[in-house]
Amino acid sequence: MFSATELSFTYPSGRRGLGRVTLRGDPGDRVVLMGPNGSGKSTLLRLVSTELPSLPGSLTLFDGVHGRSLREVRRRIGIVQDTPVHVDDLTGMENGLLFAEFYGLPRGESAKALEALFTSLDLDDALHVPTREYSYGMKKKLLVAQALVHEPEMLILDEPALGLDPPSREVLLRILKERSQKGVCSLLATNEPALAQALATAVVLLHEGEVVAHGSSSELLAKVGGATRIEVHVTGSPVVGPGQKYKTSTSATDGLPATTSDLEGLPADILSIQQLPGRLIAESSSGADVIPQLASAILGAGMNIQRIEIREPDLRDVFALLTGQALGTQDR
Amino acid sequence: MTLAVWRTEWLMALRRRRLFLFNILIPLTFVATIALSSAPAVHAAAVFTVLFALFGTFGSSIPLVRDGESGLLRRYVLTGVHPGVLLLQRVSATAAIDLIELAPTVLVIAVVRGSSASQLVIVVLAMVIGLLAANSLGALSAAFAKSVAEAALFSAAAALLVLHWAGTFRTPVSGTWQAILEMLNPFRPLHESLLAAAGAGAPDVAPALFVVPIGTTLLVLLLLTVAGRYTMGLGGR
Repeated sequence: MFSATELSFTYPSGRRGLGRVTLRGDPGDRVVLMGPNGSGKSTLLRLVSTELPSLPGSLTLFDGVHGRSLREVRRRIGIVQDTPVHVDDLTGMENGLLFAEFYGLPRGESAKALEALFTSLDLDDALHVPTREYSYGMKKKLLVAQALVHEPEMLILDEPALGLDPPSREVLLRILKERSQKGVCSLLATNEPALAQALATAVVLLHEGEVVAHGSSSELLAKVGGATRIEVHVTGSPVVGPGQKYKTSTSATDGLPATTSDLEGLPADILSIQQLPGRLIAESSSGADVIPQLASAILGAGMNIQRIEIREPDLRDVFALLTGQALGTQDR
Repeated sequence: MTLAVWRTEWLMALRRRRLFLFNILIPLTFVATIALSSAPAVHAAAVFTVLFALFGTFGSSIPLVRDGESGLLRRYVLTGVHPGVLLLQRVSATAAIDLIELAPTVLVIAVVRGSSASQLVIVVLAMVIGLLAANSLGALSAAFAKSVAEAALFSAAAALLVLHWAGTFRTPVSGTWQAILEMLNPFRPLHESLLAAAGAGAPDVAPALFVVPIGTTLLVLLLLTVAGRYTMGLGGR
């Protein structure tokens, strides 16, 4: 469906957007790109969507059987961009019809397809409302409807779930999986681990324009083990630098950096503690039982605790392990 | 794509009723004030021509830059639509809308200055050519502009320059290179016809007055269609 070989891109300012990324997606694949802001996710999407020129490196879409017409290739792709852009004076339906007409669909056929999409996305009440009155989430749903109306063979989605309420996210997931079963290849960027894990057939972790990991969610999660994550949001001076690990009772033998003033009084159940900007992530082999001693050690080191979250390991931890940096999540 | 962009432009113009009304009333008020005054026909016609030309260039360049900045044009093109056809539909639709909005103004000139029916017909025909050219000029100006302010500046400067070459601000001198530019210039019929309608006598309705500028306008439209993607700042994509 798409094959990118050593794809690179440098913006006119000289900033490197992407460096030598090799990636492919076959029919039915759902490839999810993850990475912090500026990691190259959107640049890669823009390259594959043909918006940016794919030089140096090469990009083949639809196995190159499309001939030489860029316009023909574009008609076979559905795009959901990060920022919703619509003709504000037109209603949702009129906006949808406009795009359907661009894709070459007959008006009657596209009206039916749009009505069905609007209903499934719970947007049917806003069918005849000008999009200037839409909320961000509604605009995002309209983008999804516009991208799907012509039954594209490939979908390119930049943060498609951003701004959607939980039921709408579920609907989006279901739609993408249904399309995938029909052979549609999706290339999607998100920073939401839950969405990525629920959807991806392959996850690509990007950092500073390069691929740092590529595999299925389970393959990537295996890198971090199954210990419970206790995420402590802190203020105050950390003891070790960003990305470094604190010395714990077990880590001393692992060759981790031992500092002169590591946290004291940590229980043996804490396997490691990693410092990220504004937070510490502790791996616990005995769940949340270690929290009182952990909190005591952190406070004893002169830091203040804002909040504590307990969660199972996810792709954020894989990213943090591989790069020493936080992946972050985006909410709107 | 059929006429999707053309239809959308009309739909938007009709939805923006307040703007549509202002676009009728503002030139109407301005032109009526001058037409009712004792301004000599030569001065009045120059003002009317400048107003109509700027109406067309601004109305084309500013929305194009705005839609380019918002990413809407790029989004359109990524559907596989031909950028040149998109631009052609847009320019022709906005020129037609301009003509509708300026129609009451032209009628006021004709009534106040006592123009004949034939003079009025010639003005309308010249306006079709002039507004198509003005909207095309606006689209070309938008290609070089990186903001709405730049679009306004570039389109005003370009329009005033082309109006000067049309002989709007000077007495034409035959046999010079400027006379050749005048002959090609799509704003010349507009100026000549408005001059007659404003009270300077019968216009020069020789076929050359219209035929050559029509050719120039069609050539510009063809250029816009072929180079549409560059005109919309898409850099050949």
